[in-house]
Amino acid sequence: MRNIYTALATIFLGIGALSAQDIFMVDSSYVHFFSEATLENIEAENNKAKGLINRANSKVAFLIPIKSFEFDKALMKEHFNENYMESEKFKTATFKGQINEKINWKKEGSYNVTVTGIINVHGVEKSRTIKGKLMVKESRIRVQTKFELKLVDHDIEIPTVVFQKIAEVIDVTVDLQFSLKK
Amino acid sequence: MKYPLIVLALLVATVNLTAQDDLLDMLEAEESTKNYKVGPTWKTMKLVNLHSTSMVKKNGLDFRVTHRFGSIGEKSGGGVHNLYGLDISDDIRISFDYGITENLQIGIGRSKYSELIDASIKYKVLAQKERKAPLTLVVLGNIATTPQQAVDTRYDDWLNTLSYFSQVIIARKLGDRFSFEFAPSLLYRNLVLKTTDIDGVNAKDENVNISLGFGGRFMITKRVGIIVDYMYTFSEYRSNYRPINYYDPFGVGVEIETGGHVFHITMTNAAGIVENNYIPNTTANWGDGGIKLGFNISRVFQF
Repeated sequence: MRNIYTALATIFLGIGALSAQDIFMVDSSYVHFFSEATLENIEAENNKAKGLINRANSKVAFLIPIKSFEFDKALMKEHFNENYMESEKFKTATFKGQINEKINWKKEGSYNVTVTGIINVHGVEKSRTIKGKLMVKESRIRVQTKFELKLVDHDIEIPTVVFQKIAEVIDVTVDLQFSLKK
Repeated sequence: MKYPLIVLALLVATVNLTAQDDLLDMLEAEESTKNYKVGPTWKTMKLVNLHSTSMVKKNGLDFRVTHRFGSIGEKSGGGVHNLYGLDISDDIRISFDYGITENLQIGIGRSKYSELIDASIKYKVLAQKERKAPLTLVVLGNIATTPQQAVDTRYDDWLNTLSYFSQVIIARKLGDRFSFEFAPSLLYRNLVLKTTDIDGVNAKDENVNISLGFGGRFMITKRVGIIVDYMYTFSEYRSNYRPINYYDPFGVGVEIETGGHVFHITMTNAAGIVENNYIPNTTANWGDGGIKLGFNISRVFQF
């Protein structure tokens, strides 16, 4: 009887330990977006992004707190949060997906990958496949990607009364560094 | 005996695995422990008459032009011959306010009403957060002088032209659309005039006026809202002195934000725009058509 418990405990602890060893967590992040506009370009940075990669099944998840985007001009940040992103209601932008390519996580190297999943911005979900670069080095993983986001896809309105005209497509740059989740 | 335990153990293991499987849930669980500041309670630093808890951002310069026409009603000096007050300007104010830090701003302004020049300082003590900090608290102070050539020679002494105003503003944003505030205030004027009423009784105005302001805003759309404020002043002189009837300023307005500019179209019985003028001197009232149309333009330059 006691042996069975020990065996069970060992198995479950073992499974737990194994999956924990496969999960990598963001420890450094840089997200940047850029929008060309008539009067002045709009851009912001965020280093409060979070992300996880599970090596066992190549699943990834990614979350950005909207209020943590920093702008050059404080008033722009206020307008971004209040008028465009409605960050009181939609606090985060997220992505959840699966890496399509087979990756040898044990081997150091750089891989061109595509990730298919669901991106949620402004509370509106959209299925996307995003290209990126994944690098494995010294038990660290780095992910870099650049993609476009159409405001209309996520019901982000461009008001007609605003003097400042804003581009309908936003360029997003993401650079994430992962280390083993402790 | 053995089997239920194994089943239980398997269940626990499965739950454990699924929990770890949904990576996004893990991230969201972690994110939900964060406590962010609540978004802007107001769009600009004044409602109709009352200051809001809104501040100019760091390195921002808020240039404001506020205009108040004359009374609409004929009984209060308006009527068709001055196009319901539109030919008259009871007060015009031009001001600049600058954000030194995110929580500290200074400003200067000049009003037509008694040629008032005022310098002000505003400091945010507390900002409303999603949890634990339910209110925004701002303190405001100004010093003002009226360099006008007054009929009373006592105004020749510069010190007698000074007045000081201080206010604590406590505000809360409730959901997306509604914000409200109240503001205990104190106005001190160095010199107030003695007056004699028709019965020959001497009455002296008060140097100190304690007031309580209330204000609110309701957003109709993301950029258009209704603003309301009211200022009650505890003053025996104002309640009892009959040759002049004093009233409490009450204002309503429409607020339109266009990204960089905030426009107000207002109606109020206060003639003066600055507290130092409107708290002691509001003599028009809504009932007699003493309502003055007004507007305010605020343009923020961010450096």
